[in-house]
Amino acid sequence: MNHQQAQAFIANILETPHEGELQVMVDGVQRLGTRFNDCAVSQNALKTQSTLTLTARLEQKKASVTINALDDKAMVESAIKQVFATCAHMPDDEEVMPALGEVLEEKAYAFDAETEALEIETIGEWAAAACKQGAAADIDLAGLLSLGKMFCAYGDSAGGFAYEQYQRSDFHVTATGNSGSGWAENQGVTIRQDDILAATRRAIDKCVKAQNPEVFEPRPTTVILEPQAVGDLMAMAFWYGFDQRSKDEGRSAFSNYDKALGKLSFYSDPACEVFPTISFSSDGQALGKSLWLDEGKIQQLQTSRYWARKNKLGVKPTPNNIILTGQGASLDELIQSTEDGILVTRFWYIRSTDASTLGFTGMTRDGTWRIENGEVTHPVVEMRWNESVLRVLNNVVASGKPVATGENMAMAMPALKIEDFHFSSLSN
Amino acid sequence: MFDLLDQACAAARKAGCQYADARYLSIRKQRVLSRDLALSNCSESDDRGFGVRVLYRGAWGFASSPTFTSEEVSKVVALAMRIARASAMALREGGVKWAPEPAFKLSYKSKCEQDPFDVSLEDKAELLIAANEVMLKNNTVKRAQGYLGFKRVQRWYVNTEGSELHSNVTSSESMIWAIAVGKDDFQQRNWQAPASTQGFESYRKQDFLVQAERVAAQAEEKLSARLSPEGDFDIVTDSENLSLTIHESVGHATELDRVMGYEVSMAGSSFVTREKIGEFQYGSDQVTLMADNTLENGLATQGFDDDGVPGQRWEIVKDGIFQTYSTGREFAHYIGEERSRGSCRADHWSSIPIVRIPNLFLMPGKEALSPEELIADIKHGLYFEGMDSFSIDQRRLNFQFGGNAVWEIKNGKKIGMLKAALYQSRTPTFWNACDATCDERYWEPHGVTQCGKGDPLQIAQMTHGAAPTRFRKIRICRGRES
Repeated sequence: MNHQQAQAFIANILETPHEGELQVMVDGVQRLGTRFNDCAVSQNALKTQSTLTLTARLEQKKASVTINALDDKAMVESAIKQVFATCAHMPDDEEVMPALGEVLEEKAYAFDAETEALEIETIGEWAAAACKQGAAADIDLAGLLSLGKMFCAYGDSAGGFAYEQYQRSDFHVTATGNSGSGWAENQGVTIRQDDILAATRRAIDKCVKAQNPEVFEPRPTTVILEPQAVGDLMAMAFWYGFDQRSKDEGRSAFSNYDKALGKLSFYSDPACEVFPTISFSSDGQALGKSLWLDEGKIQQLQTSRYWARKNKLGVKPTPNNIILTGQGASLDELIQSTEDGILVTRFWYIRSTDASTLGFTGMTRDGTWRIENGEVTHPVVEMRWNESVLRVLNNVVASGKPVATGENMAMAMPALKIEDFHFSSLSN
Repeated sequence: MFDLLDQACAAARKAGCQYADARYLSIRKQRVLSRDLALSNCSESDDRGFGVRVLYRGAWGFASSPTFTSEEVSKVVALAMRIARASAMALREGGVKWAPEPAFKLSYKSKCEQDPFDVSLEDKAELLIAANEVMLKNNTVKRAQGYLGFKRVQRWYVNTEGSELHSNVTSSESMIWAIAVGKDDFQQRNWQAPASTQGFESYRKQDFLVQAERVAAQAEEKLSARLSPEGDFDIVTDSENLSLTIHESVGHATELDRVMGYEVSMAGSSFVTREKIGEFQYGSDQVTLMADNTLENGLATQGFDDDGVPGQRWEIVKDGIFQTYSTGREFAHYIGEERSRGSCRADHWSSIPIVRIPNLFLMPGKEALSPEELIADIKHGLYFEGMDSFSIDQRRLNFQFGGNAVWEIKNGKKIGMLKAALYQSRTPTFWNACDATCDERYWEPHGVTQCGKGDPLQIAQMTHGAAPTRFRKIRICRGRES
């Protein structure tokens, strides 16, 4: 749906006679996912989906209903009746908030006309070109080239309206040899064939350098995390720790922690040039820039409208991206400044081990190397680590420039050089 | 319903496909969440649509749409064909090799005595809020939460081989949890009624109230528990804890698509390579792991899979020796099997089917053995209950799992709770350290409802099970520094 179609569709729903208040969210996606392994396409699927979510409020009662038959008038009418019927049976909840009723200016931070115009056959050609690079190097390639074309529209019976069109591209590729693998990605809004081929070359190069890994006995050591590894860790930390209510109620690592967290800043901003996103939330709130760490100092964390009202705080909605600033050093500079350490491409299967210290565990994956006297000397067997994000951020001694990363969440992350990082066991 | 799906298959055949299937799904869901003494959310959804998968000159194409009309079916088949031609630009040598399967006309319906969608919201609210009320009576519990989730998936499936299949599966899941807050710490404890393909009849208010009291008391006890020791200890896992270990270290490791590199870029590969069939000592002779997509109330029990293959039962590990994999029709030929094991599922009408973990469980011990007797033979060890931190490498070898509650065992008795305990091992080392599992009286199933795999990610459900089981000399580490 374009802006006008979405506006008319939502207006039509809001005009249906109803008690109380109604919020309407409509979104649609057309996503082609071309998956390949062993240098050949293994799956190729086009997902076309639209959803309509109706949220009804009757004083302090709230309920929601989602359907996907947008062109079925009878189902839409039935859904409106159903959401109010369910809402009437809900017990009162003091945390239910009224609709905002704000009309938001349409932004296009995450829209690119050239990307929007890409066709199935072009994506197929690009995936085939990446596969050919692998075949030419006699290295197995596996990965995904995915392009999603989306829109999202919001309206409420208090007069609120918002609409945006956006895209999300994701290319990631793993190159596998006999005894090691390499990985690279290209994330963001736009995608070009050159980006895909460059990422494929990086993965192949890493794979070649990852063969015949040696054992590095796991111990605390200096580590250089490439941006994807930093993003893997910061995304988990953000969801586990950066909530103001949990902090205030004693349920967060920050409840009893008031010191600084290193010197970097950590924020969210839909207009971030490195990885822009849609600029409003599912309840029609505008998303602006939100600072979570200001040069290491903890700021007010994610704050819902209810918690903000109750505690006389500003609202800080859940964002669509996270960005960690860096000091701009190149990866080579970070390596050259390291006497003894480990270089990590990315992490895998990170899980919380202790919420009270933002403690996590995870594995290294697809390319880990020993650094000695400022040079990468040899690949090492992948390792498990156990580490607290509070310690990690305090132990950052140098950092790079934020780049786009994240298959699931939009992130802009720099490479980080961290001292005393706790590796605990070998993968094999 | 079948008419339009037949139309899709006929159109695909006419376009020159060697194989095609079409699935229409109607997915109804309800989620009810409680926060302290309120319901924080009730969301319902109705999601319908169809997908068409075509195999054309050895290459796959798949397209889908929420609009189920004759005109749209024609468009979607044409789109799927376009995509298959694009796939053929980088075709695997020889293309897809598709295992034969007879045509079936089957209908499957899961058992559902009390339709959860007919139960009033008030009854669901009462169940959750009554449990929260009990948890909040404990002064240390500062947040009590609960969740009920219900799903009904109706599926119509047709393929060009003549199969016409229908299933109607209702599933239920729930959880309650308490967060206790102390001066310098906070701890969470939860209870899940095992998720299953049953209706509301599986929930009894009394169970929720009893478990709520236990969960709150144990959340409080966790606050003052001492930090876990580190080193090598004998451990006992309860059925819920071991279910997740089975899932991660056996279920994923024995998916044949992973072994063949199809999941390398995301979910990963596997250490269980093909030469290990019939030879590899996966575990001790106490370990028999059974796959069973006909298991009563199992989350992967759906009558047939999304390749049109009926549910089956087979041994993955027998008396410690690795037997075979979970497969789909595209993969059976890689191990010389003529027929798929029927374990290929898609999570939505707009998703392409992939090999998924079946219902998979550790067979109970053959000799009578109670949990008390199991523990009595441990001088110093740990008892792990429930699911918590779980992480495993992409080849499914190095893992580290916690428990939602952990007790220290001394001289054959549980003596007190421990904090931040994790067991860390390698898959074959761990399963070969198994020296006893309790008998069938203590065997319990546990549903996994959020199994992520695929790229883009798909979420699947399956049931695991075990009786309390003992493992000797397993490395214990801590998730928190002393």
